Amino acid sequence: MNITMFVATLALTSASGGLSGDAAQRITLPATPVEVAIKAGEQKTSTDPAVNPDAAAMADFKGRVGKYADLHKKLATGAAEQKKGSTPTELDAAKVALTAKVQMARTDARHGDIFTPDVRAVFRRLLAPRLKGEDGRDARAIIRDDAPEPASVPFKVNAKYPEGQPLPSVPAQLLLALPPLEAPLEYRVVGQHLLLIDTATDLIVDYILNAIVA
Amino acid sequence: MRRFVLLALLTILPCTVAGQELKLPNKEGSVKFAIIGDSGQPGSGQVAVANQMASWRMRYPFEFVLMMGDNLYGGERPKDYEKKFAAPYKALIDGGVKFYASLGNHDDAGQTNYKLFNMNGQKYYSFKPKDGVRFFAIDSNYVDPKQAEWLDKELAASGSEWKIAFFHHPLYSSGATHGSADLQRGLLEPVFLKYGVNVVFAGHEHFYERLKPQKGVAYFILGSSAKLRTGDLRKSELTAYGNDRDYAFILVEIAGDELFFQTINQKGATLDAGSIRRVGEITPTPTVTAQPVVPQAPAPAQPQPPSPK
Repeated sequence: MNITMFVATLALTSASGGLSGDAAQRITLPATPVEVAIKAGEQKTSTDPAVNPDAAAMADFKGRVGKYADLHKKLATGAAEQKKGSTPTELDAAKVALTAKVQMARTDARHGDIFTPDVRAVFRRLLAPRLKGEDGRDARAIIRDDAPEPASVPFKVNAKYPEGQPLPSVPAQLLLALPPLEAPLEYRVVGQHLLLIDTATDLIVDYILNAIVA
Repeated sequence: MRRFVLLALLTILPCTVAGQELKLPNKEGSVKFAIIGDSGQPGSGQVAVANQMASWRMRYPFEFVLMMGDNLYGGERPKDYEKKFAAPYKALIDGGVKFYASLGNHDDAGQTNYKLFNMNGQKYYSFKPKDGVRFFAIDSNYVDPKQAEWLDKELAASGSEWKIAFFHHPLYSSGATHGSADLQRGLLEPVFLKYGVNVVFAGHEHFYERLKPQKGVAYFILGSSAKLRTGDLRKSELTAYGNDRDYAFILVEIAGDELFFQTINQKGATLDAGSIRRVGEITPTPTVTAQPVVPQAPAPAQPQPPSPK
């Protein structure tokens, strides 16, 4: 299984698992995939070219998604604030208000503003090995599982992900390979394409067509 | 003719009552809860299950319900919350039962802020209803490094409590349509084993399957509380019991080191029942859960009718 190989490879270079209390004194275990994932996540956020050769593009991407997250936070106030413990009516009203504010604030947003050509190239390179051949079979199956038809999703910045369509699960190994995102942003794979979605509004923030090369 | 009908009724009635016997010990002070999965599809199946849950609660006063995701299929407007959740489960909600949801692939993130789903704005969270038991709701749609880190820390801090994880995608499954979520398993199972998760509940498959313990962890799939995929369960070497013909919910009771379960269909008949006991000490291990579970003989029936809270 691809993730096992991936994790095993990383585990060899990763520190052993940190246990607390007595347990740590009794036994030292190899790192779990979770611990490996944490380590990998830390590495991916690094802007040090010695750690990550694609650091410049990744740092640029991080800055762009950070700006989006800041804008989102600024707009998610007042009537657009999504509060814990809401009723469905309150949830709906806040979502409608926030969606309108974000769309309004980003009327000039264009495809490629966040996934710039450099970022797209790095992403394609990061994704390809995770989905290739026999090892990528499980990941490809997850992407297909309950996924909407690509034709049902508007590949358009600032458009809404269609209501009622399932949000395809993202294979954990892809998430380990890609730069981590701040809430409310998430990656989604639809067909061969990668979406960047604002999960609080269901707005498509940007996308990469043919992110997954067959 | 009338005598014949009466005779037939008298013959059927004891069978029905026997089928509706509570098989949980119903002990005072135990942790009592129920489970539903893929429950957000309005229709006769959903209503029948919800009604049965309310009816069984008269005899078995469970305090909360775990939801395995796909809590609302289709739209998620206020009318959808009402039609797909609040209306069918009204009797339970009015009776003070708390629902703890996890997210499925059909669920919008907005559900995390819905008061009655008790997610406190989080896609993954843990809660402790009573001393000795902790639940971990995981977002299996999106196991990113941040969630992975959270899970590691939460499990590490949970000590000797019963550790029960619940989420949408089953790590082991005999379903033809979806099958085992191998990639999620590759990431989650090692940390479950290391920190001694005892039981895992999942949904996604529209049937009920109790799996044989895997590496000492008990696995249940329940995705048939409102949707059915008849014929989809291909019983395999993983299967301890399975049913893909009935809508269902599960009643669960934890008392000391034993966990009792009873799976009930839309007509109130018991499909499956039994118990597991956790054994061993908390000792981290990479291969078998720190506190493996051992299937026990079916729990003795002790029908007691305590009044609901």
